[in-house]
Amino acid sequence: MNRTNEKAVETLFFLSAFFSALLTIAIFGFMLALGLPLFAEGRFFAIITEPWAPHLGHFGISPMIVGTLAISSLSMLFAFPLCLGFAILISVVSRGKIRWLLRKTVEMMTGIPTVIYGFVGIFLLVRLVREFFDAGSGMCVLSASLMLSLMVSPTMILFFCDSFERVPSSYGKAVLAMGGTEIQRFLYVTLPNSWPGIVIGFTLSLGRAMGDTLIALMIAGNAVQTPGSLVDSARTLTSHIALVFAADYESLEFKAIFACGIFLYLFTTLLVITARLLGHRGERWAR
Amino acid sequence: MKTKLSAIFAVAVLSLVFCSSPYAAALDAFKGEKGEIKIAGGTAHIPVMKEAAARIMGLNPDIQISIAGGGSGVGIKQVGEGLVDIGNTGRNPSDDEIKQYGLQMFKWAIDGVGLVVNPANSVRSLSQEQVEAIFAGKIANWKEVGGEDKRINLYTRDEASGTREVFWEKALKKGDIAATANFIVSNGAMKGAISQDPYGIGYVSVGHIDNSVAPVTFNGIEPSLQNVKEGKYPIARGLFSNTKGEPAGLSKKFIDYLFTDEGQQLVAEKGFVTVK
Amino acid sequence: MKRFLELAVPIFSWLCGIILLGAVLSVVGYLFVHGWKSLSLSLIFGTTPPLDALLMKRHVFNGLFPAVIGTFSLVVLAVCLAVPVGMASGIYLAEYAGAGTKAILNLFFDIMAGLPSIVIGLFGFSAAVFLNRHFSGNIHPCLLISSIALAFLVLPYIIRTTQMALEGLPLSARMTGLSLGASRLQNIVHVLLPQSLAGVVSGVILAIGRCAEDTAVIMLTGVVASTGIPRSLLSHYEALPFYIYYISSQYTDSEELATGYGAAIILLFICLILFLLAFVIKKRVSYLALYRA
Repeated sequence: MNRTNEKAVETLFFLSAFFSALLTIAIFGFMLALGLPLFAEGRFFAIITEPWAPHLGHFGISPMIVGTLAISSLSMLFAFPLCLGFAILISVVSRGKIRWLLRKTVEMMTGIPTVIYGFVGIFLLVRLVREFFDAGSGMCVLSASLMLSLMVSPTMILFFCDSFERVPSSYGKAVLAMGGTEIQRFLYVTLPNSWPGIVIGFTLSLGRAMGDTLIALMIAGNAVQTPGSLVDSARTLTSHIALVFAADYESLEFKAIFACGIFLYLFTTLLVITARLLGHRGERWAR
Repeated sequence: MKTKLSAIFAVAVLSLVFCSSPYAAALDAFKGEKGEIKIAGGTAHIPVMKEAAARIMGLNPDIQISIAGGGSGVGIKQVGEGLVDIGNTGRNPSDDEIKQYGLQMFKWAIDGVGLVVNPANSVRSLSQEQVEAIFAGKIANWKEVGGEDKRINLYTRDEASGTREVFWEKALKKGDIAATANFIVSNGAMKGAISQDPYGIGYVSVGHIDNSVAPVTFNGIEPSLQNVKEGKYPIARGLFSNTKGEPAGLSKKFIDYLFTDEGQQLVAEKGFVTVK
Repeated sequence: MKRFLELAVPIFSWLCGIILLGAVLSVVGYLFVHGWKSLSLSLIFGTTPPLDALLMKRHVFNGLFPAVIGTFSLVVLAVCLAVPVGMASGIYLAEYAGAGTKAILNLFFDIMAGLPSIVIGLFGFSAAVFLNRHFSGNIHPCLLISSIALAFLVLPYIIRTTQMALEGLPLSARMTGLSLGASRLQNIVHVLLPQSLAGVVSGVILAIGRCAEDTAVIMLTGVVASTGIPRSLLSHYEALPFYIYYISSQYTDSEELATGYGAAIILLFICLILFLLAFVIKKRVSYLALYRA
């Protein structure tokens, strides 16, 4: 292979990478351009403050922003302690075959399609929630966030396990040498040293919970209201896009879903950047 | 299961027998044709569309018919934008929409929109005022309309829905729908939701009402096919298929098929009132 | 206090384990209890003879066959589009990019990996409408548009797995080829890529799983409830995950619902097998799976 060929292939590699990166910007640019009329007319604040009532000319998406934040943060509230506990179970408490089995199970769980969580949610969880709380239809913030927490848990657990394992084993040798237990080593050495990884795992899982469409669409009820309680029906930004995307392309209604897209884009980007910054700080800190 | 299979088999054999004799004429138009028909829009139409597509594609595998839902609004917009060939609506397209897109409308069935509750609910009749108050959220407990002391769970359809439009206009007199209402994306889904929620109330196309939900009389009139046919039941609407400009080719043949005797019989089988 | 904490940790962790495993088992168990009865050949092929369906002589109406074929074509197309670009980008990142470029590109790919799939679907949908208006009336949301959008969705995984597999190679592997007089490119193609194949392949498998299960992208870009086997890249299509979503909301009777359970079990199996395979080939992909949203 001669030099010009080498150069050409290298350029090809570069162009691929450049194109892929450009795509990230293009997606944002596209949404900004299409959603612009909504912002341009000085309606930015209207979007955040107004209710959603297209027949009255209100295209505010605040109920959906609140819905997204409520459902995703609640799901993290359920998922975080459970996942931390489960990760400890895998990394510290269990042994041998059981540890292997638990880990394999979690790995398998990452492969469960979200639509299946939604599907079972409709027929099992929604019914249980309705009967247990005896209020509302069962399609509510609580049902959606419970299912979401289940959906994000396997990746969160694997992330936690990973950050425990990254703490150099030499760190805890002294504890064991002094007759300490594995649990003691974990509590006083591993855990304090792995917090950056835990925070990153948490942040990225929150991003996943926010970005998921199907679970909220199928079992959160989709009412356009700011949810006031756990058993209230709510709509997320993602469901809103799925429900309204087929509106007239010239209408403000349609443009409003680009506002949803922009918010989702910004939220998830913010989380990714947070995770990266924490990652850098964590690395320095660990050194 | 056995009996079910044999029933299916029997139907298949029978339909083969029939297709080869009196019905064949209606489907003859599709012989030797090739191509694709894209259909989107009203969800009440889907059962009829699916069955018609199955018969046409069964006879002639070179024709492909795709059917998507989305609601009446979607039907109009997509056909107007040229994204699909036929856009179904469960309401009259507005004059604006007709003018803007140059729509041609074909009304091939009449349908009512009936209030439904869960069969476990004892409430079986409501007046127009009560319905309006319930959907506005002013009556929030079943006890106020003679039921149990339980909160009323409202179910409504999304904004693209023609069923919603008709119900909102004719039953609610364009009154408010409370923000607490759950949003459901299709007639089938509405039935599913109500059949699961003992304290829910919603509205579906009369053709979709079966024993999984209980119909509620509206001002004392039962939402039955008979009443819709005789014009007694007030919350009624046409089921339309719309094309952009005059339909041509396969789209025209498809719409023509809906108006044949066989097509209209299909309309009746799926629980709607025929137009012929 | 400390003693209590040390005692509480194992109890707490076992409790978490039981709750979580219980929840997952009830989800999967519920599916199987209600769905195993509908698993049969007629679930896929309906009343059409399987051979006729496979040879595309006849349409399948009351079976999952069109949805299975739709999902299959979608996966093949999307992966074929994403793999060359993704691998090339990954190679560039790992082997050519300078520190500054690398940091910037890494950030972009992280952001892209974190994007909700519905946002990518919305992008695909509006791009299709845009093209329809300004270029050709023949372009609609369709199989091709969906595949392109899905390719965008999985692009970051392929980039990442390629990059990490290459970066994970020991320095000695890197130097041998070069010291024997191989050029940089020859070294990559003949030495480095073959050695990091496991990582790359596991990334591709993950991408396949992701394409097979995603619903949000396709529901905006051309999937429909009923159409039969897709005839061309520009036609509508059916897909398994969308079928499950559709049935869950629109089923008209219990038989239709049973096919929904059947479809869910089939999709679950496909995805579990793919993910298991990815983990068997490469242990640490678990880490990358997190980046999906």
